[in-house]
Amino acid sequence: MAKADVSIIDYGVGNLLSVQRGLEHFGASVELISEPKSVEEANRVVLPGVGAFGNAMKTLKRLRLIEPIQELAERGTPVLGVCLGMQLLLDKSEEHGLHDGIGLLTGSVKAISNLGSNNESLRVPHIGWSPLYKPDSCSWAGTILEDLEEGSAVYFVHSFAATDVPSGNRIADTRYGGNEICAVIGHENVTGCQFHPEKSGEIGLKILHRFMLQ
Amino acid sequence: MGNLRIIARLDIKGPNLIKGIHLEGLRVIGPPSEYALRYYKQGADELIYMDCVASLYGRNHLADIVRTATKDIFVPITVGGGIRSVEDALDLLRAGADKVAVNTAATSNPELLSELAERFGSQCLVLSIEAKQVGVDKWEAYIENGRERTGLDVIEWVERGVELGAGEILLTSVDREGTRQGFDYNLIRLVSDAISVPVIASGGMGRPEDIVPAVCQGHADAVAIADLLHYKRATIGEVREVAKREGFTVRTYG
Amino acid sequence: MKRDVIGQYKLPVEVRFCSRCTVSNQRPRISFDENGVCSACNFSDSKKNGINWESRHKELEVLCDKHRKNNGEYDVIVPCSGGKDGSYVAHQLKYEYGMNPLTVTWAPLKATQIGRQNLDAFIASGFDHVLGTPNTEIARKLANLSFRHLGDPFQPFIYGQSNFPLHMAVKYKVPLIMYGENGEVEYGGDMKNAYRPTRDIQDHDKHYFSGMPPEFWQEHGISLKDLYPFMAPGFKEIKSNKTEIHFYSYYKYWDPQENFYYCKENTGFTPNPERSQGTYSKYASLDDEIDGFHYYLAYIKFGLGRATSDSAHEIRDEKITRAEGAALVKRYDHEFPSRYYDIFLEYCDITDAEVHDVIDSWRSDHLWHKVDGEWTLKHAVWYESDQPK
Repeated sequence: MAKADVSIIDYGVGNLLSVQRGLEHFGASVELISEPKSVEEANRVVLPGVGAFGNAMKTLKRLRLIEPIQELAERGTPVLGVCLGMQLLLDKSEEHGLHDGIGLLTGSVKAISNLGSNNESLRVPHIGWSPLYKPDSCSWAGTILEDLEEGSAVYFVHSFAATDVPSGNRIADTRYGGNEICAVIGHENVTGCQFHPEKSGEIGLKILHRFMLQ
Repeated sequence: MGNLRIIARLDIKGPNLIKGIHLEGLRVIGPPSEYALRYYKQGADELIYMDCVASLYGRNHLADIVRTATKDIFVPITVGGGIRSVEDALDLLRAGADKVAVNTAATSNPELLSELAERFGSQCLVLSIEAKQVGVDKWEAYIENGRERTGLDVIEWVERGVELGAGEILLTSVDREGTRQGFDYNLIRLVSDAISVPVIASGGMGRPEDIVPAVCQGHADAVAIADLLHYKRATIGEVREVAKREGFTVRTYG
Repeated sequence: MKRDVIGQYKLPVEVRFCSRCTVSNQRPRISFDENGVCSACNFSDSKKNGINWESRHKELEVLCDKHRKNNGEYDVIVPCSGGKDGSYVAHQLKYEYGMNPLTVTWAPLKATQIGRQNLDAFIASGFDHVLGTPNTEIARKLANLSFRHLGDPFQPFIYGQSNFPLHMAVKYKVPLIMYGENGEVEYGGDMKNAYRPTRDIQDHDKHYFSGMPPEFWQEHGISLKDLYPFMAPGFKEIKSNKTEIHFYSYYKYWDPQENFYYCKENTGFTPNPERSQGTYSKYASLDDEIDGFHYYLAYIKFGLGRATSDSAHEIRDEKITRAEGAALVKRYDHEFPSRYYDIFLEYCDITDAEVHDVIDSWRSDHLWHKVDGEWTLKHAVWYESDQPK
């Protein structure tokens, strides 16, 4: 059987169908996988996710997927974490207790602030479309954001965000209530999007397409 | 508030998109897929699909419609109507829904909200409330597509719902719904100010300009539009223009 | 004491449901064709395919041209109630056809708040209006008597609804009376007038009064003097006024739900905030606190309640499917009109025990039996066993 272009890790959480459709939109062949062996053989992997960090890590552990994902990343296979999937790629999370992540990217997960930069109260979860900005002297060439203009809006829905991310790994930020939030982070072949590219209209599709070309 | 979201609401009965007045007298508008795609292309920030006969038949039948929609529509989709259990919600999420909206079942079994929030996360869970004014600054929650009363005070109910795990509120004014007379700004404000999760205002939009008081007076985080769009009296783009002119932060589209 | 429902209403003993709508052959005077389709559904097909509405519209123009007075005097009597149907007809006649209607309402036995509000809004939208209210004491006596003898408290209302416009027509010297729909034709009754715009005044008794005109109540101690407002004017006066009763449903495609939308836009009509008991709908028959008992007794006598009638026409008008209609009938048809029950008891000066005796006397064996001590219909549109083959 020919290997699929992209493999989405199905560990029972999240709207996988939309991610699948988003990737298929460009003619990619997509498979859903949940076995360690399938992860090992994948060409490209997407780690989706919604819900709680702790539960997700427990499930990944139970399915014995954590080592295969780590090894896959080490081999240079492109990995894309989406939303909770991005958070799982980090070292640890403070959501409902302290939990270890998969550790492919440096940083940790903390609750987003419910106070804006002017001390105004903010709604949590952060839900809605928000523009992507380049942090400092970052270029998007070579990243999954290569085809986008700065200020392109994408769809966020989350209560927690990545923090303590080394500046070299910060690819894009967004702002919520004047506070900066990591939107896209990455190092070499491992990338994470806090937002949902599969829910971000044509902009999101461009991002998924670029991931396909990596 | 984050960016104001402009959402297209599609009320579905069987295979048809329908529209009523005061949630009554439901007229067939056309095929849902055609209208949904049109609104996606017009720049709708999200879509909401509500199954209007779900309570009557005891289950939600929108899975197929949603599955088809996800082929061409890449913005968040909320699905509601007849969701009574974690299994019902799971079916819809697997079919492509991003969020599920619950009303009737939650009023008789509020624990359903915590079950859903625990399993799928609060960001997946929308508490849908049909509010009917019963006194000065007093609204009662209705269920079953506006056909039955619950005796629940809307403000008390929304506070409880959020405590139990609802991540967002879809607030429909039964009095204004389908009337084109503008939103019930007082209702929206009282609900918005009572809780910390986002509120989607629904019911009564007569012209694109109605979005202004919904945000300024009502403190709404999003508006759900049906009649205005289905009868082609305005487009999402026109509503976005009004919002931009007022200085609201909205997604740049087009 | 058990009534002979079958004999009195000439009902078929075997119950069958229409294969297209939710109505059964127990509706008095309905007929079914060889495919099991009821006369109302067949008529509805002809409305969609067989009738030339353009030429009907022209007939209406001719009729209006003939009657229009253009001198400030009324030229058409429109019976109404403030509800969607009469208001629609009056508005159309005035604004589309240039007529000068006198709208007339025969007072509900006990007006609802929403009903009165809708009537006021209608009048405020630009109509002259007369409200005929009979002596409440007599109306109440008649309600009591008709409930006990006919199983329907609504007779005093029904008499006036037919006869009051005839009086007004004679008094104001207006020959033309325009009703909304011909219920017999639209909803599955005597189809004799399906292709006429009018009906014969003599058919009152059979079609609307269950064979019992007001005069009948003299036997029960109501004097002719007291019955006067409920009775029709003398036949001679009706004739010399050249009175004609027409139906708007002959001239224009009749769709009750569309009338609701029209009146929402044009006559200030508001649906009820709550659904009516015994049905799902909020826009039909909102005016009278007592009318729930009329519908409920029809449910007892024929197994056909309010949800059945509402769903049946919505199915024909392609607003809902038969499956949905059946689910709605299952959910709502049997509902007892409890909201105004105390008011009903007081109005009719009757006790709860007497009410239940009357109700049970109309439960025909061919429709009802007891299951686990509860009265249950032997046949229902949602039963597997009653699905049309």
